Amino acid sequence: MRLPRRSLLASSVVALPRIAVGQADQRPSITIAVQRIANSNTLDNLREQSNVGERTLLMFNERLIDMDWRGNLAMRPGLAESWRRIDDKTLEFTLRDGVRFHNGDLLTAEDVAFRFSPALAFGDTRPVVDGKTLPHAFSAIVGQGSKKLPDEIPPVARRLFPGLDRVEVVDRRTVRFINATPDVTLEGRLSAAGAEIVSRRAVDEAESWLAYARKPIGTGPYKIREFRPDVSLILDAHDDYWGGRPPVKSIRILEVPEVSARINGLLAGEYHFACDIPPDQIGVVEGNAGFEVVGGTILNHRITTYDNSNPVLRDPRVRLGLAHAVDRQAIIDGLWAGRTRVPQGMQWEFYDDMFVADWRVPEYDPVKARQLLKEGGYKGEPIPYRLLNNYYTNQVATSQILVEMWRQVGVNVEITMKENWTQIRDRSTARGVRDWSAGAPFNDPVGAIVSNFGPNGAGQQAGEYRNAEFSQMCVILETSGDRPLRRKAFRRMLEIAEREDPAYTLLHQNATFTAKRKEIRWKAAPSFAMDFRPGNFAI
Amino acid sequence: MFRFLAIRFGRAALTIVLVVTFAFIVLRLSGDPAVAIMSPEAPPEALAAFRRAWGLDQPIWVQYFRYFGAIAQGELGQSMRDGRPAIVLVLERIPATLMLTIPAFILKVGLGVPAGIQAALHRNSFTDRAVMTMAVAGFTVPSFVLGLILVLVFAVQLGWLPSGGQESWRSAILPVITMGLGGAGVLARFTRSAMLEVLGQPFIRTASAKGVPWPQVVRGHALPNAAIPTVTIVGFMVGSLIAGAVVVESVFSWPGVGRLLVVAVGNRDLAVVQCILLLVACTMVAANLTVDLLYGVLDPRMRARKS
Repeated sequence: MRLPRRSLLASSVVALPRIAVGQADQRPSITIAVQRIANSNTLDNLREQSNVGERTLLMFNERLIDMDWRGNLAMRPGLAESWRRIDDKTLEFTLRDGVRFHNGDLLTAEDVAFRFSPALAFGDTRPVVDGKTLPHAFSAIVGQGSKKLPDEIPPVARRLFPGLDRVEVVDRRTVRFINATPDVTLEGRLSAAGAEIVSRRAVDEAESWLAYARKPIGTGPYKIREFRPDVSLILDAHDDYWGGRPPVKSIRILEVPEVSARINGLLAGEYHFACDIPPDQIGVVEGNAGFEVVGGTILNHRITTYDNSNPVLRDPRVRLGLAHAVDRQAIIDGLWAGRTRVPQGMQWEFYDDMFVADWRVPEYDPVKARQLLKEGGYKGEPIPYRLLNNYYTNQVATSQILVEMWRQVGVNVEITMKENWTQIRDRSTARGVRDWSAGAPFNDPVGAIVSNFGPNGAGQQAGEYRNAEFSQMCVILETSGDRPLRRKAFRRMLEIAEREDPAYTLLHQNATFTAKRKEIRWKAAPSFAMDFRPGNFAI
Repeated sequence: MFRFLAIRFGRAALTIVLVVTFAFIVLRLSGDPAVAIMSPEAPPEALAAFRRAWGLDQPIWVQYFRYFGAIAQGELGQSMRDGRPAIVLVLERIPATLMLTIPAFILKVGLGVPAGIQAALHRNSFTDRAVMTMAVAGFTVPSFVLGLILVLVFAVQLGWLPSGGQESWRSAILPVITMGLGGAGVLARFTRSAMLEVLGQPFIRTASAKGVPWPQVVRGHALPNAAIPTVTIVGFMVGSLIAGAVVVESVFSWPGVGRLLVVAVGNRDLAVVQCILLLVACTMVAANLTVDLLYGVLDPRMRARKS
């Protein structure tokens, strides 16, 4: 066989860089087993508003304002290097220079404005000011037709950004968010799920909204290679990432619904991480040398709520009595291996100056509980407790413990298993107690207590709770920029909703646990989100 | 014969209509797809928009007639989660399921039938007791328990095989064994009983008395007569090829029709559930019809009765 010298030299030259690249890229590829990748089968942040979705979204998407995921979740510059308040309705961002999308385009103010446009978020919804809907600021809704938004997205976007009127491009790197009403929470909202920035060109070039939503082109450290709904999501390192070279070459996320299968796969060496490990399995994993369970409390509290229209529960003293009958620490020790805690009401420390430091939930006091129940006129009537089969971790066991604790103070609570939320909320028969969780999407009470129990929250919308003063306080929190006044209003809301006219009983802070190989150095965020950015992964 | 076929086809069609109707009513009355897919915390306007978009705001009888009207035109609806035609989603998953169910079916028949025959031919012997013990264990141990035991031994402890997923043909070994062993146990038991019944018949004694060699008696007289109950069970197994791996697919994270069904039921993705049920009902009905026709081939008396 003859090899021409020129061909040989040419092939050597072509081959050299490839070898060099191959040798240079010695980053590991990892596999993560999760219970579910996405509830909606899409990766669009407005459609996929779920805890499971939060886990992966930050791998490929980013927001203007980031959070300190490895620390105290404080806000910090993300895709915006800085921002300032121009007035109580206007927020101006200066975008970080040199940020590239996964398709190679540079991030511009146009991309940011497009993300918050009618075409990709708001549809024909408009902010409401003083009870009146504002007219459209746009001449036409761009992007309808073949790329029509699913009808359910605009209401979701409007709930996340209720007062946002428009986003104006000032120049290539400057963009202004203009609200219809004063909103001190706008920065927080822009640091939360639903505010991720995607490439406008990629959306324009996608065949349909679904095609875009299956493979959003963001700026995150990893780019989507393949998404097979209900099966797998494969991501590759985005080596042009502005925050440095990602430490992992590729991430393969597999949907493994059974917890035992996730643990077995981890122990068999097939997975590097196994998510959603129930507390009772922590010992099983850590009984094997070479594996450990990380994670802990997240920005979410487990609560039980009441239907106050039920005659038995109408008297607030009955509901407060139920709260005083709950030994929360016993639940934490018995079901959570002590790995979570009793929070200080429906609030989190990252609220900063809005955090009411001296607030406590009603303490465990069976004597007081009995007295309150007696004063409230409770005479042993059955109270229905509609229950899902472990929608929340340890849900059934927790409810059984609660029923026994309530029985100890003379309350007759009857569990009825239900299959889904429609049955839980069904009004055709008497409702009593049900389970829920309250998350903190951003660092202000508006994101949790107002969002869940305010006039537009699911609690009031479902007809379970109503308190005029509480609703007034919600309005102050949502519209006032006077921080002392807001702090006072929030304290008052806690007093009403947790003691005077209880809307819920807070049980414990939620927690999520991830099992992993010990040799992997990786810090779990106090959130469902998994962070594999530079500096948070090494073997 | 025509009357026989007409009755059978008529029953088959009625069965399919009943299955689909029952599924339609139960699914629509037992949960709201909007809440299941959008999450319970979704804004009421979003839930209403979702229901409007998918016609869920219409009275149930309107939805029912629309659904059957669409089926008559060959339209099985679109997935509410996926936005794609339900039939496309289901067809995408069928190869993965058949990759498990066909080898498992071969294992069931290949292991169960000979084992049942051997047990019957050696009644009350060690072989008989061993086969029956294994058979009872096979069909009484739930498939999810057997699957987990196999994973613990062959994946976690020995590291010989993958614990789940669909990475290569090796990933199919444990799920196939899990399904195959249970089915083989059922078949072994049925085959043994059928064989024992036939072996006690006068014509077997007559054949033996005439000096026909025993292997020939078994092959020529016992087996064909014992085949009818076994064929009935095999027919059910063929019918469950499409959706007979629901539990095993979940245990082994195998992306087949069974897992699609579990997810679709959980989310009340109505079109997908109904599409799968329609396919399963059709397969099951077709398998039973084939079994009915096979009876005639296997047993001349039935052929005569039908004609």
